[in-house]
Amino acid sequence: MKRLLFICVVALISAVLFGCTAARNSADPNANNSEDSTGSTEENNSEEGATITYWYWADNSEYSQLMQDIIKEFNETNDKGITVVGEEYPWDGGGYSETLFTAAIGGGGPDVASFKLTSTPLFTANDLLLNLDDYIANWDKKDDIDSNIYDIMKQASGTDSIYLMPWNTQVLYVYYRPSIFEEAGVEVPTTYEELLTAIEKTTMDTNGDGKTDVYGFGMRGATGGQEPWGSFIHARGGSFDDLTSEASIQGMKDFIDIYSNGYAPPTASTDGFNEIIANFKSGRTAMTIHHTGSSAEMVDTFGDDVSAFPFPAGEGQWTSMGDTENVIFESSQHKDAAFEWVAYLAAEKGQEDWTVATGNVPVSKSVQELDFFQDNEFMKASIEGMPFAGIVPIKDTTTEWISTIWPNTVAAALLGDKSAEEAMKILQEELHAE
Amino acid sequence: MSKKSFGNRILTLYIPLGIILFFLVFPFYWTFVTSIKPERELYGPTVTYWPEELTFASYAKLFGEFNFLLPMFNSLLVATITTVVTLTASTLAAYAFTRFDFKGKNIFMSLFLTNNMFPNVLLLIPLFAIMRSVNLLYTPTSLVIAYATFTIPFSVWMLTGYLKDLPSSLEEAAMIDGANRVKAFTRVVLPVLMPSIIATGVYIFIQSWNEYTFAVLFTNESTRTIPVTLKNLIGQLGVQWDLLTAGGIITIIPVCILFFFAQKKLIEGMTAGSVKG
Amino acid sequence: MKKKKFNFWPYLLISPALLIVAFVVFYPIIEAIFMSFQNYDLRRPDKISFVGFENYIEMFNDPTFWLAVKNTLIWVIFGVGLQFFFGFILELLLNQQFKGRGFVRAVSLIPWATPGVLIGLMWKWIYDGNYGVLNDILLKLHLIDAPIMFLSQTSTAFGSVIVTIIWQGIPFFAIMILAGLQGIPHEMYEAADIDGATKLQKLFRITIPTLKNVIFITIILRVIWVANSVDIIYSMTGGGPSYSTQTLSVYIFNKATVLDLGYSSGMALLLMFMLASVAIPYIRNSFKEGS
Repeated sequence: MKRLLFICVVALISAVLFGCTAARNSADPNANNSEDSTGSTEENNSEEGATITYWYWADNSEYSQLMQDIIKEFNETNDKGITVVGEEYPWDGGGYSETLFTAAIGGGGPDVASFKLTSTPLFTANDLLLNLDDYIANWDKKDDIDSNIYDIMKQASGTDSIYLMPWNTQVLYVYYRPSIFEEAGVEVPTTYEELLTAIEKTTMDTNGDGKTDVYGFGMRGATGGQEPWGSFIHARGGSFDDLTSEASIQGMKDFIDIYSNGYAPPTASTDGFNEIIANFKSGRTAMTIHHTGSSAEMVDTFGDDVSAFPFPAGEGQWTSMGDTENVIFESSQHKDAAFEWVAYLAAEKGQEDWTVATGNVPVSKSVQELDFFQDNEFMKASIEGMPFAGIVPIKDTTTEWISTIWPNTVAAALLGDKSAEEAMKILQEELHAE
Repeated sequence: MSKKSFGNRILTLYIPLGIILFFLVFPFYWTFVTSIKPERELYGPTVTYWPEELTFASYAKLFGEFNFLLPMFNSLLVATITTVVTLTASTLAAYAFTRFDFKGKNIFMSLFLTNNMFPNVLLLIPLFAIMRSVNLLYTPTSLVIAYATFTIPFSVWMLTGYLKDLPSSLEEAAMIDGANRVKAFTRVVLPVLMPSIIATGVYIFIQSWNEYTFAVLFTNESTRTIPVTLKNLIGQLGVQWDLLTAGGIITIIPVCILFFFAQKKLIEGMTAGSVKG
Repeated sequence: MKKKKFNFWPYLLISPALLIVAFVVFYPIIEAIFMSFQNYDLRRPDKISFVGFENYIEMFNDPTFWLAVKNTLIWVIFGVGLQFFFGFILELLLNQQFKGRGFVRAVSLIPWATPGVLIGLMWKWIYDGNYGVLNDILLKLHLIDAPIMFLSQTSTAFGSVIVTIIWQGIPFFAIMILAGLQGIPHEMYEAADIDGATKLQKLFRITIPTLKNVIFITIILRVIWVANSVDIIYSMTGGGPSYSTQTLSVYIFNKATVLDLGYSSGMALLLMFMLASVAIPYIRNSFKEGS
């Protein structure tokens, strides 16, 4: 009896105490922000020996190791005694950004984090990111990064300020299999019309059983598919700004036709990155659209029998520029140290190490000059695509548009549940909703 | 009984059991086969039911480079503590709900239930702020608390159900014999309830072992649990099937071994119950 | 015992459980109620203000919402119904004496022990239209002559996902009911044997009535759990294609992850209301007859 009573009382008291402290402290999370995260008061003055946390995701275990190595090297070589602590978070199909947001708005975010352009409006609207204008203006390597990249960073925030430190980019291009092209008797397309013909011609029944064995185009209908899809819309002269224009609708019709004529695998309506790459690597598709991030494994699989060309021009020409940036949080106690670190990744040794190993396109001009990037055929296709590369308009609706609206609406159109016009109307309204 | 019923047993036991087991186990088998296949065979033109080329490299990599033992230890720690905390709190509460009549009983019971009806995703932001303000962020304790909040209501209900199905005549008899309530509880009710407590404990353990949404927010590199580590293997550039499936197999097996021993307790509980009954 | 004196024991006994739960959950729920009456969209924090019932009105005019409600009903009825059906059969089988029973019990726990992170991916891989083993088996058995795109077409996607949740939930029912079975005194069965009762008679006259409470509670808890589960659908289809697999909880999740918290809170409260209207009458009844 006594023991039980004792246990209950202890449990009760501890729970009450715990509950009360929590309730009191949580009443005003913002007010606590400045006082308790490190407990010291002189952080901003002495950046010597600062420790900063850095959140990033890794696309595979090699990248994870690579990032740890870069961090280690930075910690050993920087002359300000800065220590970066890397924390890896799962990419989780984009869930990374929500995790980061939840932590930041809850007051427990990192000092620095890797970041995607599309999340910018959400974070800046909640005043979470540090304005980098002054830091960049005083940065000796400022001019090593092309000014159009800074412009894209400004566009994303919808202001004249830069909140994102450029890190690396990926430009989409078309992968193709020379052997299949030869078998089908097609040349590398130089116009949009030729591309459509090539897609049709490379769809083949190679063993004569009446079923398609090779599909011309590995179409991506799941999340992320808006990037290659955008190229079709622009090739007809359409644009993201007016998706209901005749030209945009015609591009959508081309896209649907490829699927309904059987030039893309029947699973295309839900194929994501994994599927398009797997289909290409297994020889099931003749072409697919992706960036240099997958070039190493393509070469591993096919050797010489894989090559690339930029998405060709029709009425218009466009390809999607993927991106990864770094941001510094407004709540960071060591902003100067944090900038040292993002600068290291943007234009110094960190930039070179990362882009050489991952095959991403560097933002630093001096790194772009390296032979490694000049001699690589896939890198060449990326750099050729640079002049007409763009991004989906970054609005506060963009994340939702990309993650649920686009895939579901386009799947409905591919499966014949919606016409091209109906689908484009939805896409237009949702992207440009006020 | 044994003679005529052998054919009968095949029909009523082995065949249905076989079918259900096949359905339950096949995906696990497929996970295992995937973990020991080289990638090129995964996307090959024909589906192979046993790898043509065996490789255990992914397992070596997980324990070597990846230090998979750390998240396993963290998961084990969190799951064990959650199980103990939850079982203690909810057994007491369930006993109160079934053996006492008191004001507000229905309301309390309903409150417990509504808690589980609320989607976790909406708890994240406030919960994160609370954890930070009590300085529990990135500690295993924060996970234990987060998990206890949704395993407790469940367990209270589950145990209430079991207790209601146990005739209260058992302990009343004991109390007439002079035992007080606590003694009646520990000597009579608890042993009979053991199988149910174990089953509930298994539930709690598995939930905490496999939970991802809270885990990704409330842990950092040193306190990471298994699901987060596994999810790290799915990047923008695709799924690392070999490591992911190998990690999955390593995660599943300890739980099954644990349950193998726990289910023995289930049977012991049964004999205890029948002796008293 | 029968004295009218205030009995503090029950309150003391439930307090630890209640406090842990209250401390963490009640504040967010109350906050959610407030948010559901605001256009609480963190993508537009400057514009947050009270809007009355606007979120709820929007829901009623939102075809995606109604589709999600319909999907939730199908998901819960078939998901939980068949989980229970197969789980109950499995548990009756596992309760018989046979060699290697302990091993079989442990093995049958596998689906439940599998991390959610892996379940969706694994099943997606099994269903795959190009390299999936299910299509391969069906082709080899000559049941079909072209692969089925299980997850890529609206006609089969939802059914395929439901099979996965059934798979995952069977062990839950089996283990929970198995535990309940252990509390039934053997004498009851022995008495029935003497009366010459058949197996089916014993099942319906002894097993099911005695386990009534456990069965109801497991079903109710499972309904709540399945109605709220997101990870399997999310990792297999993300709610697509064309919203055909989007349940209410997935819709809430999708809206909450883009930080439209007002709308998602509103939907969450409606979902809670729907679940409560199923569960609360049961609570009333069971306690009335119990006392």
